[in-house]
Amino acid sequence: MTQQKKLLIIDDDPDFVEGIKSILDAADYSVEVAYNPKDGLQALQTKNFDLLLLDIMMGRGAEGIMVARKMRKDPKLREMPVLIITGIREQMAFLFPGEPVHPRFVQVDELVEKPVEPKLLLEKVSSLLQAAEELKSRAK
Amino acid sequence: MNNKAKIIIIDDEEVILDSCTMILAGGPNDVWTASNGMKGIKLVEEVQPDIVFVDLKMPGISGMEVLDQISALDPTIVTVVITGFATVDSAVEAMKKGAYDFLPKPFTPDEFRLITRRGLERRKLMLETIALRREKEMLRENFAAIVSHELKSPLGAIQQNLYAFMGEPLTENQKARLERMKSRIEDLIKLIHSWLRVLSVDIEKIKENFTTISVPGLISKAIESVEPHSDRKDITIISKIDEPISSIEGDEVSLVEALVNILGNAIKYSYTGGQVIITAQEKERHLELSIADTGVGISKEELPFILGDFYRGKSGLMAEESHGLGVTISQRIIEAHNGRISVESEPGKGTTFVIRIPVVQTKE
Repeated sequence: MTQQKKLLIIDDDPDFVEGIKSILDAADYSVEVAYNPKDGLQALQTKNFDLLLLDIMMGRGAEGIMVARKMRKDPKLREMPVLIITGIREQMAFLFPGEPVHPRFVQVDELVEKPVEPKLLLEKVSSLLQAAEELKSRAK
Repeated sequence: MNNKAKIIIIDDEEVILDSCTMILAGGPNDVWTASNGMKGIKLVEEVQPDIVFVDLKMPGISGMEVLDQISALDPTIVTVVITGFATVDSAVEAMKKGAYDFLPKPFTPDEFRLITRRGLERRKLMLETIALRREKEMLRENFAAIVSHELKSPLGAIQQNLYAFMGEPLTENQKARLERMKSRIEDLIKLIHSWLRVLSVDIEKIKENFTTISVPGLISKAIESVEPHSDRKDITIISKIDEPISSIEGDEVSLVEALVNILGNAIKYSYTGGQVIITAQEKERHLELSIADTGVGISKEELPFILGDFYRGKSGLMAEESHGLGVTISQRIIEAHNGRISVESEPGKGTTFVIRIPVVQTKE
């Protein structure tokens, strides 16, 4: 890897974050964390990240969806790859009828279920980063 | 908004209407009256009353018909028929049709008040029952969401940290213990998923995605998925497929799940080194699948409950973690395929589950 990639995690469960962050740290990513959607959006708007790991069920409901919606409207954030990490697939199916597994929030995204095996996590992160990069170079 | 009881009296005798209105005057209620069935029904539609008194003998549409129409409008409205002495038989008839009670003419003010009070109590109970039933349904649905988030989240957080540990330098002994913790938590998460499936998933929905399924393929997929468990207990799975067997219509993923649950139980309740035998044959346009083990068996007392609602067997041999949900889920899946499942067992000798599912008509 030429340059250390910067990741942001938005998730309201600090214990879960601890587990996932140490896997990513060990794989030599630079990881920042926001523990609520508001801080998360602020971090996204003020700093540069290469990828977002987004929890869906936060606070009083599917607040992660709100983050994704705002990202979709923002021309800069729209291009950031997102790994959606959710506690429950069935709820996703409920929120997105007809799109049970892959909601397509933004241009490049993937969905995994909590808890996520380290191997799968690292695979998804690196493939999303790669896909986003290819998209960018094609645009140029 | 007012909490006054709404009472309608339908009678062609003006004196009845007037006296009833007077008896109820001053009470915590509002009273409307109608002098024939047509007007009465219109009033019921407008007012949505708690209780309606209906004279059985009226010109125009009969009291019986008024009762029918009210119950079609809202079956929770309490109806009481007013009847002359000569029409007691028809009062009984009316009660068979759903009227709550009858009031024979002539009646005293106290009799009328009493029957009104009892009728209103009945109405209250009916509304409460409906509200409770609705609440129960909501609880059931919400429970799934609560269980998923409140129970799964902490388990997920623990598991995620265990995953992270596994990548760090550890002694063999630490690694082995972490591996055990990981697998126990995995089981818990699976158990929660099973609960969710029983509580919240409408199994009938799988009918929308039925395709044609080959039976031997189905069986081998199910066996493949339980093999790690049978290997661990040194149990041989023997499958005897009496070919040719016509295909069946169904949802393959669910059917494999149904078989895996039954096979899993057969392995779970078998003695080490035992055998599980699956036989498949076509009989009278049905696929007949039997899964037989030579394990601990199920006692006569427990047997009737195995295929009821979920149940956890408590045989002499303490099995590995067992949850009776599996059989319940299998039963529902099989029933969604218009099939049936039955069980026979003898303690100490073993258990046989038999599944019957209709095959596709044309033989290939």
